[in-house]
Amino acid sequence: MTPIDWVVLFAWLIFLVSYGLWRGRGSNTVDKFLLAGKTMPWWAMGLSIMATQASAITFISTPGQAYTDGMRFVQFYFGLPIAMVILSATAVPIFHRAKVYTAYEYLEKRFDAKTRSLVTLTFLISRCAQSGVALAAPSIVLSVILGWPFQFTTIAMGALVILYTASGGIKAVTYADVQQMAVIFSALVLALIIAISLLPADISFVDAVRLAGAAGKLNAVETKFDWNDRYTLWTGLIGSTFLMLSYFGTDQSQVQRYLTGKSIGQSRLSLLFNAVAKVPMQFFILFIGAMVFVFFLFVKPPLVFHPLQMQQLAATAEYPSLEARHTKAFDDRQTAARHYKDAHDPVARAAAVAEFRSAQQAMDSAHRDAIKLTHENDTNYIFLSFVTHYLPRGIIGLVLGVIFTAAMSAISGEINSLATVTVIDVYRRHFKRDASDRHYLYASRVATIFWGSYAIVFATIFGRGFGALIEAVNLVGSYFYGTMLGVFVLAFFVKRVGGTAAFIGAIAGEAAIVAASKLTNMAFLWWNVVGCVVVIVVALAISYATERESTETGLPVGS
Amino acid sequence: MIDDPNQPQKPILDEPPPILGTWPRVYVFVLIYLAIVIFAFYLFTIHFRP
Repeated sequence: MTPIDWVVLFAWLIFLVSYGLWRGRGSNTVDKFLLAGKTMPWWAMGLSIMATQASAITFISTPGQAYTDGMRFVQFYFGLPIAMVILSATAVPIFHRAKVYTAYEYLEKRFDAKTRSLVTLTFLISRCAQSGVALAAPSIVLSVILGWPFQFTTIAMGALVILYTASGGIKAVTYADVQQMAVIFSALVLALIIAISLLPADISFVDAVRLAGAAGKLNAVETKFDWNDRYTLWTGLIGSTFLMLSYFGTDQSQVQRYLTGKSIGQSRLSLLFNAVAKVPMQFFILFIGAMVFVFFLFVKPPLVFHPLQMQQLAATAEYPSLEARHTKAFDDRQTAARHYKDAHDPVARAAAVAEFRSAQQAMDSAHRDAIKLTHENDTNYIFLSFVTHYLPRGIIGLVLGVIFTAAMSAISGEINSLATVTVIDVYRRHFKRDASDRHYLYASRVATIFWGSYAIVFATIFGRGFGALIEAVNLVGSYFYGTMLGVFVLAFFVKRVGGTAAFIGAIAGEAAIVAASKLTNMAFLWWNVVGCVVVIVVALAISYATERESTETGLPVGS
Repeated sequence: MIDDPNQPQKPILDEPPPILGTWPRVYVFVLIYLAIVIFAFYLFTIHFRP
């Protein structure tokens, strides 16, 4: 980091927070603070939805994922456009016409208080842990890269988020997201251009793409069906559709975005904008990772990308032999890459690919042995290592600034939605039903500060040295989304099901997800399908049973 | 005010889409677009497969 990078980094942070504060001014009623007075245009909502979903750790790790595992992660997003179409046709008009602040408020109108409370509790449990992780994960990476104390990075990011979220509410969050997405796109395009321009003079762009393909990094679509493989065409089209329906249809952090729309049409357009833009965007980010891989075919990568782990590794007795294996394998792989580039017939190409794979296996083996000594996966550091070592001065500061604000965007979305649910579904529903607007506005700001502070404390205490915990908490959402989706499907489409049937169905769905996760090796995307289907089947069965009983006894049906 | 019956309620607008005339046509367009994108990615995958 040069002085100009620091200037760019801080200038971007100051600009973004100031802009958020400025755009969020005038949020002096609950309606304006939580729903921006329902005045938001589709493009602002659409970009904000995209920014909230694309957390910093996604931005950091996605190119690294392509570097190690190829581009098949893009299939994870194939269900998103399908989900957006379904939600535009169903959830958007239903939520708008119900005139609700939260998705869970609708459940009491449709079912009863206990179903609303159960789903509210489910949301709060899953999101409160994730808000800490959304702050801790990028803080760890940025503190390593910038050399700052972890606590400082965490508190700085958390405090800035609290400042503009508690001050300007969702309007500040949304407009800050818009600016951020514009800069993210620019930074990504720059990163790709620079990665390609840094290739050796005799390697053209077409050569680079062919080499990435030969290395198996351009595996964007895999058609084989495997229950245990989390990224195939089928998990993408089926499992991911359920996950995306749950995330965008039942998670308040997303629902709140499109509830701010000035009309049903504007909210629909915001979702459909994501449907069209998201898959190509993820493809593009993964393609950058594939190009970074090609770049490191000709420039020797470090044995381990994590800078601190690399320092520790260099002090071990095993390091010299590991480094020698790594260097030899790198030289062999580079030679094989050049053989493949110069091969003009299928036989020569096949021989070069075999030579390449052999060298790649040797490199992977040395890397695996190094990771065994360092005890920490370095995938999240691949792209940042490329950025900090090879991007021009000024651009490094911009990219790191973008990562900072991507983290802030995700966290602001989390704490804003947590505060909304806390005030609307808990405080107003169960503790103080008839207070003034001014009182609820004050409560919303206090709740925002509370959840922001909670995220800082959680991240500071658990973030450092608890890598396994972070991975575990990231799975928490998948434990609950299927159940939440099942309840909303019943609410939207199955009129015969009452509150008690939905409530029992939700508990059965949750039990099924826990059983699927503990007793099978099923990929986590399928948990969403299992949970949703069990909720619906059990609720329908109870509904039919109680209907028959009520017909026999003459008592009311369902609940 | 939250849920204040004395406050004038904003009407819920449900206007037609800016393109293609009706929302169902827009939905079909998005799904066809997805199919084309996936097919293009599939061709991309098999073209560059070694």
